[in-house]
Amino acid sequence: MTVAGDVRLEGELVILRTRVDDDLPLFARWHGDPDVRHWLHMSEMPNQSLEVERQRWHIARNDPTRVSFIIETLEGVPIGNIGLIGIDAAHRRAEMGIAIGEKDHWGRGYGTDAIRVVVRFAFETLNLRRVELITDADNERGIRAYEKCGFVREGVLRAKRMRYGEPLDMLVMSVLREG
Amino acid sequence: MISESILTAKTLRLRPADEGDLVHFQRWLADDELRRWLGSVNEQPSIAEEYDWYMSKRQDPDTILWSIEAADGSLLGNVELRLSPLNRRAEVGIGIFDRGQWGKGYGTEAMRLVLDFAFGELKLNRVELTTDEENTRAIHSYEKCGFVREGLLREHRLVDGRPSDCVAMAVLRSDWETR
Repeated sequence: MTVAGDVRLEGELVILRTRVDDDLPLFARWHGDPDVRHWLHMSEMPNQSLEVERQRWHIARNDPTRVSFIIETLEGVPIGNIGLIGIDAAHRRAEMGIAIGEKDHWGRGYGTDAIRVVVRFAFETLNLRRVELITDADNERGIRAYEKCGFVREGVLRAKRMRYGEPLDMLVMSVLREG
Repeated sequence: MISESILTAKTLRLRPADEGDLVHFQRWLADDELRRWLGSVNEQPSIAEEYDWYMSKRQDPDTILWSIEAADGSLLGNVELRLSPLNRRAEVGIGIFDRGQWGKGYGTEAMRLVLDFAFGELKLNRVELTTDEENTRAIHSYEKCGFVREGLLREHRLVDGRPSDCVAMAVLRSDWETR
C-alpha cells in the first residue's frame, strides 16, 4: 500500500508533509538529543550519525507497509515526525509512531493535532479499521495525547523493551474506526 | 535464518526447515480452519509463494525458523522466533499444520523447547505472541507453557471480513526460571 507522490495533510496547528531525503539532518539532530531518545527504541543504540540515519531511511522509504511524514508548524518549521508502520491491508490495521524532536515545542498540542490528522488519514485515505501503538508505560504526556485522540488502553506488555539496559513495561493502545 | 540447532524432546524434535518441507506446508494450508488460527495467511499460498516465504525467512537475520517433526520423523508443522535483539525479546509463531495431529500435546512440547532455547541460549527477557481470542485450544497450550494474558487487542484481525479480537500473551525470563 504505497502512497503515491507527495502528501500534504492539514491540521489546526500543524501541516504534515511526506518525508524526503533532505530531511536526514533533522533526524540526526532530533535523535542526537538524549531527552528525545529517552522515549524511543534509540535509547539503546549508540548515538546516531548521519550515515546510520541514511541507512535506516533507505530501508524505510522503499517499504510499502510504511508511510512517513514530517510535522511542521503552520509557519513551515519542521518539529518532528509521525508515521505508520506495518500497514496490513488484509486486516486493515497499522501501528503509529510519533516523536516531536524540537523540545521547545513539547506540551503545546502539536503532537495531539498531528496524531488526529494521521488517524484520520489512516481511516479515510488508507481505509484502515484499527490504528495501534505501544508506548513506555511511564510516558504520561504521550499517553494523555493518545487518549485525547481516542486511543484506549488495551494492556500492559511487561518488560517489552529495554531502556538504558533495564527492562521496561509498555502500554498497548488502539483506536478503532467505529466507536 | 534457518536454525542450525536441533532441539529434541521425547515425542518430537525441531530441526532446520528445508525446501522439501514446503510442498507439505503448502498442501496443509488449504485448510480454512488452520489458516484462520494462523492469522497471517488469508488464502492458500501457491508453491511459488511458499518458496518466497521460506527464502524471506532464510535471509532474515532476526528470524529463526524450525520445522517440527514427530519422533518417527513425520513432519508436523513449524515454529519461528522473530527477534528484537536490542530489546532482548522475540515474538513466537507456531503451527501444527497436520490437523490429524491436533490435541496430542505436540504444540505444547514444541513451544517448551523453543522457550528453553530463547531463555537459555539466546538469553532473552521476553517471548510474546498474539492469538485469536477464540482459539481456546492454543491459549490453553500457551498457558501451560507459562504464557500470561497481558491484553485484549480489539478487532485486531479480520476473519472472512468479520472483526476478531486477539489476546496478547507473554512469558518472561523470571516466569520461566521459577516455573
